[in-house]
Amino acid sequence: MPLHDVHYQHWTGTHRGIWARRWVIAQNGLAACVQNKTIRNLVVLCWMLALTMAAVLFLVGQLLVTDSVVTQSVEKFNPQLQTFVRMLTQWLEDHPEISVGTTQNVLFYFFSTYLMPVGIFVLGLAMPSLITRDLASNAILIYSSKAVTRGDYLLGKFCTAFGLLTVTWLGPVCAAWFLGNFLAPDWRFFWHARAALEHVLIFGVAGTIILSALALGVSAMSSREKATPAAWFMWWILGGVIQPIALHTKPWLRHLSFSYDLRQIGLSTFRLGDDLKTAQDNVPILGQMLGGIKAETRDALNHPTLAGALAALALMLVAGALIIRQRVKPE
Amino acid sequence: MSPAPVIETEALTKVFGPQRALDNVSLKVFPGSIGLLGPNGAGKSTFMKCLLQLQPITSGSARLLGGEVGREGREIRKRVGYAPEQNCHIPGMAGCEYVTYCAQLSGLPFQAARQRAHEMLDFVGMSQERYRKVDTYSTGMKQRLKLAQAIVHDPEIVFLDEPTNGLDPKGQAQILELVQSLWQKYGITVILSSHLLHDVERVCGEIIIIARGRVLVHDSLETLKSRKRGAAEVVLARGHEELQAACRSRNWLCEMLPNGHLRVEHRTDSLNPLLTLMDELKVPPLEIIPSPNALEETFLQALEISHAAA
Repeated sequence: MPLHDVHYQHWTGTHRGIWARRWVIAQNGLAACVQNKTIRNLVVLCWMLALTMAAVLFLVGQLLVTDSVVTQSVEKFNPQLQTFVRMLTQWLEDHPEISVGTTQNVLFYFFSTYLMPVGIFVLGLAMPSLITRDLASNAILIYSSKAVTRGDYLLGKFCTAFGLLTVTWLGPVCAAWFLGNFLAPDWRFFWHARAALEHVLIFGVAGTIILSALALGVSAMSSREKATPAAWFMWWILGGVIQPIALHTKPWLRHLSFSYDLRQIGLSTFRLGDDLKTAQDNVPILGQMLGGIKAETRDALNHPTLAGALAALALMLVAGALIIRQRVKPE
Repeated sequence: MSPAPVIETEALTKVFGPQRALDNVSLKVFPGSIGLLGPNGAGKSTFMKCLLQLQPITSGSARLLGGEVGREGREIRKRVGYAPEQNCHIPGMAGCEYVTYCAQLSGLPFQAARQRAHEMLDFVGMSQERYRKVDTYSTGMKQRLKLAQAIVHDPEIVFLDEPTNGLDPKGQAQILELVQSLWQKYGITVILSSHLLHDVERVCGEIIIIARGRVLVHDSLETLKSRKRGAAEVVLARGHEELQAACRSRNWLCEMLPNGHLRVEHRTDSLNPLLTLMDELKVPPLEIIPSPNALEETFLQALEISHAAA
């Protein structure tokens, strides 16, 4: 016997708003993505890395405390470092805006840019769950016959990609910043490290939006489940291969790589060249060490090709929008 | 006070390249169970899709449930259900998850959506299969699932595109019974598109016959069935000339068909005058085939138009 009345019942409740319906699409997309075991493992890995980063920040913070366990251990391990460590600690205490701000800015630049490929990889794995599978099964027709428009559908799918990148990239980086500064010896760390968070948010949010939109475009390219991840990974890998070759032949070709373009946005946001100069000017020993950096690298840090990167990404986004416009429709 | 029309179209036209899928369709449809009848490629599905905004209209105008199609799409579709002809499930989902999801897309909160999904799956006769992945369903189950997702949000009007395709006779009968009950018991207007006269005849009270994008007829089933031309095909062993002469004397049109039968237009609802005449002439008929009613005749005409175009 059925649990419910088998006769038809009219429904008299209140409909939810359009944002709730868009959220349902995003939620459903995320649920489909996390059914993939590799994606689940990568999400866990990203959060483990965030914890590791927080631990690194904790250790860096301990350097600012006189006679902390860390400084004592360093001195015990190598007595010759005693003077250097005490000098450094004193200097760090005197210039917290440089010691905390600059250090965290550099650390978070590297953490953000090294975690970004994990997000890109996860997006590649999630590619079928974005639009590809709906194209294959004709589900677009069902979405279009419900109380959602094509724009609502795309926004929902965009939120799916955005959500995935948030849990694998932006979220862990921000969490590492909060946890790292929470474990710091002084509450003022939050204030001195604010620039690093600001840069993380600008770079992370911009990167997440761009990558999500690009992923939607690639996902709409084909209705075959293996074709779209293959296209995404090919584009990513080829971009990475072209980049060093193009540097000495046709530099503009480097902009074909979306990860290169995103790194340029990262460099412009974090302004590592300024940090390098600050460190050289204020810490003589660091100045000598950093003086050995190649002119090429120094130039890349000081003058990221932001305009070219933005133009290339804009073109990629337009191409993605055209693919979506052409492919994502009921028939 | 008469109810407001659920569908109103004015010179609705849809063109695909050189082909006119809908050609100046002007209709006013009131609540009820309405059959869209016509051969494959007649324009039935296109008509539905234009009303649901799944296809942009080339010219003309359309109103669905009082709202202008093209302007109030999202709000209109909240009150409309649609079961397309082709399979269009979301892979990897179980049946009940799929119907719940469809209800949520129509604006139902999760709890209500889940409860309605189970109720509708019971209503369409799906039991434990609802917990299986949709990808593993048979054609019959998919048809039931499509019906369930179309009505899960309690629409005022539901469009069903060939809902009995691929079903065995028993399955067809069950689905048609459910569809019939939607209007008769629960007051949901049904627009049933089919190329099968029998399906439409069984379920619908009003018929729209379409061929080559044009509406050939739009009337109630009762009127169409009662409207006959008053003609019959007579199969005789002998006496063809006598009967033809007698018919001419009564001003009845009588002609010899290529198959040797006589076609007599007696212009009455009953065959009795013709039978009396043959009795008087002592010409016994081997068989008398009454002319089809207007419904069958128009449907046959639609088929002929379609074949001629092909």
